[in-house]
Amino acid sequence: MDNKSADILEEYSDKEYEFGFVTDIEMEVAPKGLSEETVHYISAKKEEPQWLLEWRLKGYHSFLKQPEPAWQNFELPKVDFQDISYYAAPKSKAKYKSLDEVDPELISTFEKLGIPLSEQKLLAGVAVDAVFDSVSVATTYKETLKEQGIIFCSISEAVKEHPELVQKYLGSVVPHSDNIYAALNAAAFSDGSFVYIPKGVRCPMELSTYFRINTENTGQFERTLIIADEGSYVSYLEGCTAPKRDENQLHAAVVELIALENAEIKYSTVQNWYPGDKDGNGGIYNFVTKRGICKGAHSKISWTQVETGSAITWKYPSVILQGDYSSGEFYSVAVTKNKQIADTGTKMFHIGKQTKSRIISKGISAGEGQNSYRGLVHVGSKAEQARNFTQCDSLLIGDRCGAHTFPYIESKNKTATIEHEATTSKIGEDQIFYLNQRGIDTEKAVALIVNGYAKEVLNQLPMEFAVEAQKLLSISLEGSVG
Amino acid sequence: MTTTTSLYDQFTALYNERKGLNGNDWLQNLRREAFEAFKAKGFPTTKHEEWRFTNVAPFLKEDYSLAPAAASLHEHKNAGTIPGLDAYEIVLKNGLLNEDINIPGIKITPFRSAVKEPAIRQYLGKHIEVQKNGFAALNTALFENGIVIEAAQNAATDKPIHITHVYNAQEPFFVQPRILIIANRSSRIEIIESIFIKGGQPLFVNTVTECYVAENARVDQYHLQTTPDNAHLVNFTQVEQKADSLYNNFIYTLPGATLVRNNLHLNLDGSNTESHLYGLYLTGGSQLVDNHTLVNHMKPHCLSNELYKGVLMDQSRAVFNGKIFVQQDAQKTNAFQQNNNMLLSDKAVVDSKPQLEIFADDVKCSHGSTVGSFNNEALFYLKARGIGETAARNLLVNAFAFDVTNKIQIPAVREYVEKLIAHKMAETYD
Repeated sequence: MDNKSADILEEYSDKEYEFGFVTDIEMEVAPKGLSEETVHYISAKKEEPQWLLEWRLKGYHSFLKQPEPAWQNFELPKVDFQDISYYAAPKSKAKYKSLDEVDPELISTFEKLGIPLSEQKLLAGVAVDAVFDSVSVATTYKETLKEQGIIFCSISEAVKEHPELVQKYLGSVVPHSDNIYAALNAAAFSDGSFVYIPKGVRCPMELSTYFRINTENTGQFERTLIIADEGSYVSYLEGCTAPKRDENQLHAAVVELIALENAEIKYSTVQNWYPGDKDGNGGIYNFVTKRGICKGAHSKISWTQVETGSAITWKYPSVILQGDYSSGEFYSVAVTKNKQIADTGTKMFHIGKQTKSRIISKGISAGEGQNSYRGLVHVGSKAEQARNFTQCDSLLIGDRCGAHTFPYIESKNKTATIEHEATTSKIGEDQIFYLNQRGIDTEKAVALIVNGYAKEVLNQLPMEFAVEAQKLLSISLEGSVG
Repeated sequence: MTTTTSLYDQFTALYNERKGLNGNDWLQNLRREAFEAFKAKGFPTTKHEEWRFTNVAPFLKEDYSLAPAAASLHEHKNAGTIPGLDAYEIVLKNGLLNEDINIPGIKITPFRSAVKEPAIRQYLGKHIEVQKNGFAALNTALFENGIVIEAAQNAATDKPIHITHVYNAQEPFFVQPRILIIANRSSRIEIIESIFIKGGQPLFVNTVTECYVAENARVDQYHLQTTPDNAHLVNFTQVEQKADSLYNNFIYTLPGATLVRNNLHLNLDGSNTESHLYGLYLTGGSQLVDNHTLVNHMKPHCLSNELYKGVLMDQSRAVFNGKIFVQQDAQKTNAFQQNNNMLLSDKAVVDSKPQLEIFADDVKCSHGSTVGSFNNEALFYLKARGIGETAARNLLVNAFAFDVTNKIQIPAVREYVEKLIAHKMAETYD
């Protein structure tokens, strides 16, 4: 490595988070700690029906019973669950009819993030359900969606207006007892998005929510529930940036997707939460449970994720392929630098006949980052002709980082075909040399190579997101040389 | 019926009884440490990640005797021989070597006398992590029989050494042989191990093998696992490789033993080493064959290559877990691993877990894993050319296994393994 590239490497692997700022908005914060009273408090604040309160309490009790997991490939930081405030809402809790009514400071926060909410209506047909900390402050395009019978609202709103749908599906994919973080979420979920696409409707636009953690010490417990009824299609985008903080913040969201017969759900995530400074102080703990179920025949669920932020990213977006001929996809790019840790991957449960799954995971480790792929492909005895293809590649930049893969492959059916391949390497010196020769400096060459390496995944993102994701990758890694 | 608890108690009693008998301090310490490790954890259960798919409890329920009657062993001429193999033949009866073998440059000593020599101290149990491996701990604490094979510096054998483990299971018994292989600088040894069991009673063999490959030395180890189905084999092999050395391991498991668990751990503690691991498991009945390998790259410029293939029939079950660690110092590592499985029955199950953990950046590592069945197009192609269904299937299985069998460098062994496969396949499809 020459001096220049060493400098560049240092510059970028030390690069501090660019989106660190704090919005000054009055917050209503619940007292710290989790107890039955807190659950009652949250439920009462949100004027929830009895069944939901009971469900939350069940979640709370299974949270108490479960130990923290010990199998992960990193040291689990001690999270003091009693030192977290479980409810925070902007004080002005009135519902906004138009964007003009929204607190101007809030709007400017989104603008800094490159989400000009006021312009969203004009832009590319994206409806934004912006979650600012916990309460949805503005939902656009509702009318347009309503015409088609599509429900896109906050989950608290859905509880009030469509209780039958919420009651039927909430917790049906990720039960309240699934794991300790899912249980915590069930007990204390603040808000989130709810999407219902009626039979045969193809959602005319990308649905999108921008999450943002704001108040200090407020864990975010989002809950997203997406139901695609027979023959429908929806593409949902989730993107996150968080302001700079010195204390660790826990984010334990739950996402549930349900695809009925012939339905398709595409779920894309760009995650760029505060990763902590270069010594690993601060940063978000992103412990998320995401799972989808292909309930009906010929249904499809596709997860795409670009993970560049968070001190620890720990999630396995999964698909249960229950319906015959259903298919699941998982595309992921995870970048870790400084002391970031990512332990991510997917689980594909082949239950129905002729089910297909495809997993493409690209890990990039720089600095002292640790990147793990952990995946499970399970083929049940009735999954005739099931098919899986898995590819997980790791790219290493610098000699102090690590890349790990833990794939589990379990097949109980002889007609199933499963393929798994993984490679680990560094950026080829010959590739950089080739580009240098053609007048492309090392910094740009690396950006080019990394973007090329991740292209298979980035291509899966909807247009609006692909641009943002590429930018993120450049910010995170451009100029890093192995 | 007894439970694993009683076996555990039996071992505890045996350990206490023997405690004072081991003369030298270091050996006593080694055994004590190992026994403490075993005592603390007991036999592994499926809650243990390394044993997630392999439940040993049902196999430990037999009323095993720990000290078999020695009398019933008589000569087994031709037992477990490999036709056409020209080798130095060693027969271990219930783990016991009772005749002296003279091979130029190679010293073969039974453990009973070997432990008295101080030199063995720097090898025995040195690198086995008894805390993590219950069965290896148990063996270390209580093994009695076995052999030490030491090749002198620059020594090379003109023919391979063939060790036949003969067990006479007149009553159910649990045996724990130990093998220590020391290949000194620039030496070369080839060892073939096969197993022959008679007596008809259940047998549990918990073997630990340690292999030291010094600078520029070469060791080839072959394991042929063919046993009756009431045998249970647990093997733990720990290999230490020094700079410029070469180590090859070949392991072939055929239908028989209801439980086969092979742990093969390699520490590549020197630059420019080369290691090849080949495995083939052809499983049938209600067999469970579990292969765990671990290749630990500790120094730069090493190459490791691993290929395990499995063909599963009946209600058999196979587990493969391959780990590759590349430590921060081990730059310029090339590490490859591949596991392919063919499921030939509706009830067969395979669990494959290839695993990479890499802490160095200038490396080339890859792994691949596949699970599938007969390629229908290939079958059709053969049938269209007048080859019958059975023959076509045999051909495809043999072709699948060929990648592993053709690596065998001793022609007689290769023919023997190929014959065993062909025989089994013919039996299945006729």
